[in-house]
Amino acid sequence: MDQREEDKIIEGITSQEYKEGFVTDIHQEFIPKGLNEDIIRTISALKQEPDWLLEFRLDAFRKWQKMEMPEWGHLDMPEIDFQDIIYYAAPKKDSERPKEIDPKLEETFEKLGIPVREREALAGVVAVDAVFDSVSVATTFRASLAEKGIIFCSFSEAVKEHPDLVRKYLASVVPSGDNFFAALNSAVFSDGSFCYIPKGVKCPMDLSSYFRINAAGTGQFERTLIVADEGSSLSYMEGCTAPMRDENQLHAAVVEIVVEKDADVKYSTVQNWYPGDAQGRGGILNLVTKRGICKGSGAHLSWTQVETGSAITWKYPSTILKGDYSSSEFYSVAVTNNYQQADTGTKMVHIGRGTKSRIVSKGISAGHSQNSYRGLVRMNSGAVGARNYSQCDSLLIGALCGAHTFPDIQSFNPTAIVEHEATTSKISDEQLFYCNQRGLDAEDAVGLIVNGYAHEVLSRLPMEFAVEATKLLQVSLEGSVG
Amino acid sequence: MGSSSSKEVDHGNYVSTPVPVPTGPAARVIIIDGSRSQEEYSFVVGESEKLEETFVVLPGVSARIPVTVDLVGPGAEADLKGIYISEGSDEVTFDITMHHRVEGCTSHQLFNGLASGQSKCAFFGKIIVAPDAQKTEAYQENHNIVLSEEARVNTKPRLEIYADDVKCSHGATVGKLNEDEQFYMRSRGIPEDEAKVLQMISFVAPVLEGLEDEALASSIESAIRSLAK
Repeated sequence: MDQREEDKIIEGITSQEYKEGFVTDIHQEFIPKGLNEDIIRTISALKQEPDWLLEFRLDAFRKWQKMEMPEWGHLDMPEIDFQDIIYYAAPKKDSERPKEIDPKLEETFEKLGIPVREREALAGVVAVDAVFDSVSVATTFRASLAEKGIIFCSFSEAVKEHPDLVRKYLASVVPSGDNFFAALNSAVFSDGSFCYIPKGVKCPMDLSSYFRINAAGTGQFERTLIVADEGSSLSYMEGCTAPMRDENQLHAAVVEIVVEKDADVKYSTVQNWYPGDAQGRGGILNLVTKRGICKGSGAHLSWTQVETGSAITWKYPSTILKGDYSSSEFYSVAVTNNYQQADTGTKMVHIGRGTKSRIVSKGISAGHSQNSYRGLVRMNSGAVGARNYSQCDSLLIGALCGAHTFPDIQSFNPTAIVEHEATTSKISDEQLFYCNQRGLDAEDAVGLIVNGYAHEVLSRLPMEFAVEATKLLQVSLEGSVG
Repeated sequence: MGSSSSKEVDHGNYVSTPVPVPTGPAARVIIIDGSRSQEEYSFVVGESEKLEETFVVLPGVSARIPVTVDLVGPGAEADLKGIYISEGSDEVTFDITMHHRVEGCTSHQLFNGLASGQSKCAFFGKIIVAPDAQKTEAYQENHNIVLSEEARVNTKPRLEIYADDVKCSHGATVGKLNEDEQFYMRSRGIPEDEAKVLQMISFVAPVLEGLEDEALASSIESAIRSLAK
């Protein structure tokens, strides 16, 4: 490929538009900027929370004040002024039609392809909890799910209607003082999704949370809590977008998943936050703590993530394999372009006997981006016969990007087996030539090769998500250079 | 929140340091004993030169072994190998930095370790490929066998790559001696201890390939025999 064509293609990539970058003009209520105990009390009061939850928030805030922003990430992080963020923004409800969703909001979610009204979707039925800035605006199919005893609602409703469950499981996987951003989230979290699948119930449809940041100067701090009781099963999906802005916006969420004996949870994410412009201005800082615990024997938790957005992605969806013979998987595709940075991976902590985990991570970096895989596999002394296999591949597109791999393997058990392998390469000229020869132009060829490269992960996604993810990959890397 | 000031700098977090001067050929086998435990090993490999170095750590030695290799001339090659055999309360840490500074260099690393007793073995291996070091080939392998309940192994192979036309890979494993192999040998009349010795010898053998040092080979064998008991 000659230089001219290469330049043209690089220009093509960087000038790509972020089609979810619009702003919804809607009346919103804000609380003042800044973070202190009064702000936390205000959030708690606005949400009419019980005292124990306010105490939980204040306790987390006091822990957070003693903590320092971590700096070990392979990231060039802009300084975050935590006093310059609005911690709560909610669309005002139209008082005349309190039960209806604001038509503008509905339009917003329609535009994003998220049905906030119940209807049959392409690949069957999906129940959605749509979160707009700090509040959940709609949760669909609640009634039909309730027939099976499944609770699926916004976090705020769960606090009111199922306080015992929330209290039992909240912060049981990610304690409030776990890390800097988890503590911040515990102090100021505004809404999120709550899901409980009772014993032996197979959830009849995929459940989904959709997060949308709209207001300027705000951060989004939502909390997702998923509990799968004995023998139940669930497929959960998460999606997210935000408007295009020159400022960085903070997204610091916490996801906790409890998987009891013989239960099966599949958690899929397609992360498409605004990644900033071609010069690296703006974009979402996605600093999220996601962790699940396989509590009982035979429990299974599977993470699948496709990361195409965010200026900075810093997260490690992790599993604690506590139950004997429990298992977990982590499948990830992370694409970075322009000045995006990603430091992402997983942690698999093997505690129980015969636990198994598998990690497949595919990084794709283009432009000036930096893409790192960081992972921990730990075999505790009780993890007799435990097994892990990790594979981390990086694909480099263009000479100015970076791809990094930082695995950490710790074994305290003579019967555990851990295998890790990583490769880094670019799309070879031979592969491109082969495709060109068969009539595919450079753009299609790269799309084909990248999709093939990521196929192992994409094939794990629920069908609707897989279609979206494949499209996203093509858009992010259209016509990339080999 | 302001945007970052260093966004203009290409190559992200790559830290550029002065390029050192080639050091010329060095010893091929370095046996680490306790007395030299704090020594730093640094090698600078110039154009079309080849570095071949094998590190051996035998039982009874606790050491942190920092090794830095700088490939500064086109066509430079580095071949680093190592064996560590630990027992009792030994603590062995390899800390390796392989710096590909210019294009067209090749590096291979192979480190195999056996951990028994309450020993702690760690392997930190970093490969850094500088922004202009195109056509780099860098490979790294680290294999470990944990032989006792209380032995601990921590391996952190790292790749930091700032160029695109590269072939880099690393592999790391932590495991145990294969029981099927033991069964095979025992069913053919080889006692269990002897079978384990054979397994361990074959495990470290790839590292010693090409070395014709009888004395070293026999001291490694006797170290392995002491572990099997």
